[in-house]
Amino acid sequence: MRVSRLERKYALAGYAMLAPALLVIALVTIFPIGYSVWMSLNNISSTYSGFQFSFAGLSNYITVFHAPIFWQSLLFTVMYAAVTVVVEMVLGLLVALALNQPIRGRGVAIAVMLVPWTLITVISAQMWGYIYNGIYGVLNAVLMSLHIINTQVLWLGAPTSATISIMIADIWKTTPFVTMILLAGLQLIPSDLYESAKIDGATGWRSFWNVTFPLLRPSLGLAALFRILQAFGLFDLPFVLTNGGPGTSTEPIAMLAYKAIFNDGNFGTGTAVAVSTVGIVILLALLSLKALRTQVGEID
Amino acid sequence: MSKYSQRLRKSIGYVVLVAMLLIIIAPFFWMVDTSFKTNLDIGNFPPSFLPHPFTFSHYTRAFSKYGFGVYFRNSVVVSIVATFIVLVIASLASYAIARLPIRGKAPLMVFLLAISTFPEVAVISPLFLIMQRIGWLNSYQSLIVPYVAFNLPFAIWVMRTYFAGIPKELDEAARVDGAGIMTTVFRVILPVATPGLFTGGVFTFVACWTEFLFALVFNSSQQFRTIPVGIALFSGQFTIPYGTIFAGSTVAVLPIVILVLIFQKWVVAGLTAGAVKG
Repeated sequence: MRVSRLERKYALAGYAMLAPALLVIALVTIFPIGYSVWMSLNNISSTYSGFQFSFAGLSNYITVFHAPIFWQSLLFTVMYAAVTVVVEMVLGLLVALALNQPIRGRGVAIAVMLVPWTLITVISAQMWGYIYNGIYGVLNAVLMSLHIINTQVLWLGAPTSATISIMIADIWKTTPFVTMILLAGLQLIPSDLYESAKIDGATGWRSFWNVTFPLLRPSLGLAALFRILQAFGLFDLPFVLTNGGPGTSTEPIAMLAYKAIFNDGNFGTGTAVAVSTVGIVILLALLSLKALRTQVGEID
Repeated sequence: MSKYSQRLRKSIGYVVLVAMLLIIIAPFFWMVDTSFKTNLDIGNFPPSFLPHPFTFSHYTRAFSKYGFGVYFRNSVVVSIVATFIVLVIASLASYAIARLPIRGKAPLMVFLLAISTFPEVAVISPLFLIMQRIGWLNSYQSLIVPYVAFNLPFAIWVMRTYFAGIPKELDEAARVDGAGIMTTVFRVILPVATPGLFTGGVFTFVACWTEFLFALVFNSSQQFRTIPVGIALFSGQFTIPYGTIFAGSTVAVLPIVILVLIFQKWVVAGLTAGAVKG
């Protein structure tokens, strides 16, 4: 009797201690997401006395799905996510494998790899904007001195080169972080597994495919998932580098929503774009739930 | 592995290491380098390798003319307060999940993980309307509260792992001594869980320091801009004042680099704990 009363007391204390965290999360994420859905079903006009809602059903979504710019932004975002995540994972894995051995200067390397992660994306965007600059950018100077190009190129002035330029800036900033995650994963692999693989005659590539890769797959999968979801929120880099241009060729879906809401005052349609993005993100997350499950399996 | 292939592997390791360091450092070098060049020098093509002549004027101008000091102060206040609140709330929640007999722990952890992946743009318009109504636009709390909410899930994940690794005997000894739960958490557990606090704290601080979208939308007035917003909107009317931008950027980069290098060990620990939030 006394034990169970104590149990109950501790359980109550537990819920009370969880309450502040759940309350803040509910107020700032859960409730607004619900409110977002409601907003996307309304026509919202700004008046002197505040915002006026009038229920409009799915009309905002119909507008959004009929707008070519939505599909163009979605395609850009998907392509951007696919390319940057694949390149970052492959490069990150190669660098992590090269560094996963007792070589001098590794501590320094790890310290330096942390720096781009701490860098404000806006600063990195200004930095790359100056490097790419078509008139006095150092990239043109280097490429011209190597005779790869003859005249200065406006890298951010054409859709394809602007897209690639944004991707490179992202890959530069994020690959070191992915490398750190994979290096941490590599170091968790017990070295006697390699020893026994060696006794079985497996070296080099064979030991990579048979030992390293299968054991690293959970961290690879989880890192890829988080990076993809993050790429869907892409906003800062193109905001500074191209502002979505030239035209709207580098406008990710988050920027489309932002511009619709805060530049054009279309709260209804802009929010419909945002909600659609979340729908896609949830779909992606559900598809990868298996990866999450294996990670969570150890609790309880 | 033969001695030859071992040596080859090591050489490749060194080549990769040097190449990576150069690629990471080069743009930083160019940024700091440019911040000491005169405007005339900055507009030259091909650009000069080192500042000629050397000037410190962009640094003074960033603070005196462009109000960089205000942005810096705003970023420091918002990031420190948000990190502190996150650590307090996350300590309570993580202890409850790690130690107390509450139900639904596994679904709760999955829920937290799912929440931490939501893009900010999903909540930007309702939060804007709410903040406008309660008069929070252009204030510190308009950023602190969302930053706390968005960083709690990850902090709870990391700290729960640390709490779970602390011997239960510590709690029991405290209980025998008549300590309540709060005393146990803050006097007994937290002092031995400082690595968890460091990891959660550094990740939260970096996330707050670099956040852009909320800061841009909620705090657009000159007086409440944080560093990212200030630097994004630095652009002049016709030309981009790169010298000033890079002077401000260099000042913004320094403190956080020093902070992360001091706490390097715990950042790496956070990555090992399965933390993959960029």
